[in-house]
Amino acid sequence: MFSLSFLTLFITLIDWYILLIFLMFIMFYMMVSFNMLDWFSMVSYMFGGDILSFSLIILSFWIIFLMVLASSLVYKNMTYYSEFMFMNVLLLIFLMFSFSVNNLFMYYLFFECSLIPTLILIFGWGYQPERLMAGYYLLFYTLFFSLPMLLGIFYINNFCFSMFYFLIYVDYNFYLYISMLLAFLAKMPMIFIHFWLPKAHVEAPISGSMILAGVLLKLGGYGIMRVFFFMKSYYFNYLFLSISLFGIFMVGILCMFQIDMKSLIAYSSVAHMGMVICGLMCMNMLGMIGSLILMIGHGLCSSGMFCLANIAYERSSSRSIFINKGLLTFMPSMCLFWFLLMINNMASPPSMNLLGEILLINSIISWSSISFFYLMFASFMGCLYSIYLYSSINHGLIYKGLLCGYYGYYIEFYLLFLHWLPLNIFFLKIDIISLLVF
Amino acid sequence: MFFIYLHFYNLMFSLLFFMGLVFSFLGLYFMMFDYMIFLDWEILSINSFCINMSLIFDYMSFMFMGFVLLISSMVVYYSYEYMYDDMYKNRFLLLVLMFILSMMFMIISPNMISILLGWDGLGLVSYALVIYFQNYNSYNSGMLTVMTNRIGDVAILMCIAWMLNFGSWNYIYYLGFYDFTMNNIIIFSILAAFTKSAQIPFSSWLPAAMAAPTPVSALVHSSTLVTAGVYLMIRFSELLINIDCTFFIVLSMMTMFMSGLGANFEFDLKKIIALSTLSQLGLMMMILFLGFPNLAFFHLLTHAFFKALLFLCAGMIIHVMNNCQDIREMGNVITMIPYTSTCFIISSFSLCGLPFLSGFYSKDLILEVFSMSNMNMLYYVIMMVSVMFTVSYSFRLMNYLMFMGFGNYVFQSYYEGNKMMVSMILLTFFSIFLGVILMSLMFKTPFVIILPFYLKIGPLLSICSGVILAMLFFNKKMVDYMNFTLFSMYFFGNMWFMPFFSTYGLYQYFMLTSNRYFKYIDMGWGEYIFSKSHINYMYLVSKINYLIEFNNVKLFMVSFIFLMIMMLL
Repeated sequence: MFSLSFLTLFITLIDWYILLIFLMFIMFYMMVSFNMLDWFSMVSYMFGGDILSFSLIILSFWIIFLMVLASSLVYKNMTYYSEFMFMNVLLLIFLMFSFSVNNLFMYYLFFECSLIPTLILIFGWGYQPERLMAGYYLLFYTLFFSLPMLLGIFYINNFCFSMFYFLIYVDYNFYLYISMLLAFLAKMPMIFIHFWLPKAHVEAPISGSMILAGVLLKLGGYGIMRVFFFMKSYYFNYLFLSISLFGIFMVGILCMFQIDMKSLIAYSSVAHMGMVICGLMCMNMLGMIGSLILMIGHGLCSSGMFCLANIAYERSSSRSIFINKGLLTFMPSMCLFWFLLMINNMASPPSMNLLGEILLINSIISWSSISFFYLMFASFMGCLYSIYLYSSINHGLIYKGLLCGYYGYYIEFYLLFLHWLPLNIFFLKIDIISLLVF
Repeated sequence: MFFIYLHFYNLMFSLLFFMGLVFSFLGLYFMMFDYMIFLDWEILSINSFCINMSLIFDYMSFMFMGFVLLISSMVVYYSYEYMYDDMYKNRFLLLVLMFILSMMFMIISPNMISILLGWDGLGLVSYALVIYFQNYNSYNSGMLTVMTNRIGDVAILMCIAWMLNFGSWNYIYYLGFYDFTMNNIIIFSILAAFTKSAQIPFSSWLPAAMAAPTPVSALVHSSTLVTAGVYLMIRFSELLINIDCTFFIVLSMMTMFMSGLGANFEFDLKKIIALSTLSQLGLMMMILFLGFPNLAFFHLLTHAFFKALLFLCAGMIIHVMNNCQDIREMGNVITMIPYTSTCFIISSFSLCGLPFLSGFYSKDLILEVFSMSNMNMLYYVIMMVSVMFTVSYSFRLMNYLMFMGFGNYVFQSYYEGNKMMVSMILLTFFSIFLGVILMSLMFKTPFVIILPFYLKIGPLLSICSGVILAMLFFNKKMVDYMNFTLFSMYFFGNMWFMPFFSTYGLYQYFMLTSNRYFKYIDMGWGEYIFSKSHINYMYLVSKINYLIEFNNVKLFMVSFIFLMIMMLL
């Protein structure tokens, strides 16, 4: 499979639709060849996987596939066409490696590696000069918070002479705990270290936003889950839990002040990821499973929302919600997808987001019942900003300065449908998540 | 293309009507033999709990579903002509169908998680329907509607979280329990029901939702959205004996009183009917919290039919009035569209509870049971005054519409469409006869009502005095008097300022918070401390470096002198 994905690198030289076919092919190959057992299986050298890795690898395949599908402007304008696809595939390979290695250092390595293609995507295909600052933020937030983790990993290696996830047994202390978690929390991002995210999203091209919201944020969640395998610490978790509870409360309010579509979606990512952090920090079964489901659901959903924002952007050349108005008038069918993805974002049934949110609410309430206030408010605000975005984009009079607008292409509907379908069909086979064992 | 629409509407009408008949008969069958079918589909099981999709089929769900389908079939048939000129009528029909589907899911699920499918669906699809027309008013109303409904959804989510303690979310199994957990569950489910049924702290959305097209209002306000909360409470009613319901009784009575009073000051045709729905919902909630869920269900069903009819007639009137909703501009409708006016008057009488119409059976029974249940004088007076208000706003409305001279809108095409008329027939029939039918079906053992004579005729007396009150309200002098006390009119006509409290009263603080937080934290301190700290540090270091490098002459001199002194010493 890995060799196949290396082969994909050369496919990028041919054409984008061949790349799509190839990606799908590899994905299905992976689906049939993977041992879906409830333990870490298929171990060879430093690779292997359990259902956690598998689901996130499938997610990254899916998102990369959709990224290639979404960037039709790149092909149309021929702006470094094959380099773009090369970056995508490189990113895919890094992501796949980082999800499937069983070695802590190797995870760290690929975690950092995935930063490079993302950065190049932002620098290379972003729209505005501010992208340099955004890329700088993205790079330095991750690096600054993850260098302590490198020290932590070396400490662990010195302490128990192994970096294999399941052999690590370590007496942690506060410093080790912080150093191992902070990198992931910055990546997730937790509130107060989330400032890079809206900037990066706003400046990134559609593919960069999609991969950032879709998979790169999930690297953090995945890392926290893996770290919690051996660092079963309950003593300091309340810190991050409280911060994140405050975060989901505050970011919900903050979303209402955004006038930039992409920035709003980015902030809503922060709110959802705050909930995931809460679930992870509760360290119970429900929280872990719920976080995984919400991460996958949010990956698909927010990626789809970025697609929608980009579709509106391509029509009006603006991300402002004051200019993108009355889309219902000239693209009514797209409005359906707006609505479906927005209500999925606010956890409507039967989406994965709802299931994840239910499980997370259960786990957080079982941690402390007083947190119900924050959760209620977060869930309410989730509805509020989703509907706010939906209605201010799609409802009302069309912007007078908009000289021409055109209907959605089939490829766009296809793209959105592929976001929406797994999100809402997954509950039929949600059993598979119960294979997740901690 | 036109024929496709035509067939689509007719096809859906036939389907809904057929299903409605089948479900109603199944309801009767299940009632007769006391059957209950319970289907369970396990979706996920982790550790010790499982998430199910559960479906319950008993006489209550079947009968309710059947009636909802019958009403909605009529509404779909009606809206073929009502939405005839609309560009997006296909979308409209699909939305209405989704709405009905959500209601079905709500009715048949006794599970806290699977009820979310219908519960959230109702809120969201009703949002899509409220903002169907593309204007500012409907935008705001839709926002208010979906937000208030979302509070209920969130309350259900909290119920789910508390119900985890029981290991399953089939609340129907745990109605016998009572402990701290169950107490929380009851409180949250009451919160959910109150938001959905627009009881007092949350009632501002219901008149606002009148921005939707009228057939939708007929559906939403008769049998679907607003009754979902009452229905949930009926299912939960076995738990209500455990808690002190006084507060909720007071809230629902206040709802009834407030909306009845408000309807007397309102001039928007649809809003008057919406407020009357609100007052009937208050009545249902009140009798429910008093401990008579089957009475609430009875009133729910009868109310569904005559309220749907009332809305359909109102829609017809609005339609021929060139979409004007202000009742001051109407008048003498009865000579122009007599058939619709007849239906309107029948359903209004039924709403008032005039004897031997459909509403009388349920309402009178509720009032008598209420009189018998040892409430204090204040409650009784509020109740009777509310009943009086119902009659008074109905008669006031009829006065404005039927018996007053022509208003501003005279030269309109007064035309009663055939399809609209046909769809009113069934509803009219049921608004007359459903009460007596259901009375004999549902209450096999009749209620024993033992009341003194004056209490017994109390409801009738209040109906009669309501007519007089309507004359007072309609009187020119009275209106002048009310204008003189402008504040009270403003206060009562605006639902006790509730729309302000639930919109301007809330959001300004949040906008302020959001604004300041964004300015000071996200763009201020956060940027300074977290994002820029690295750069600032670099600036600092390079500044020091700069200082050293460019002050070198002085430095060298100083160090030279220093060294010289040291050497000399």
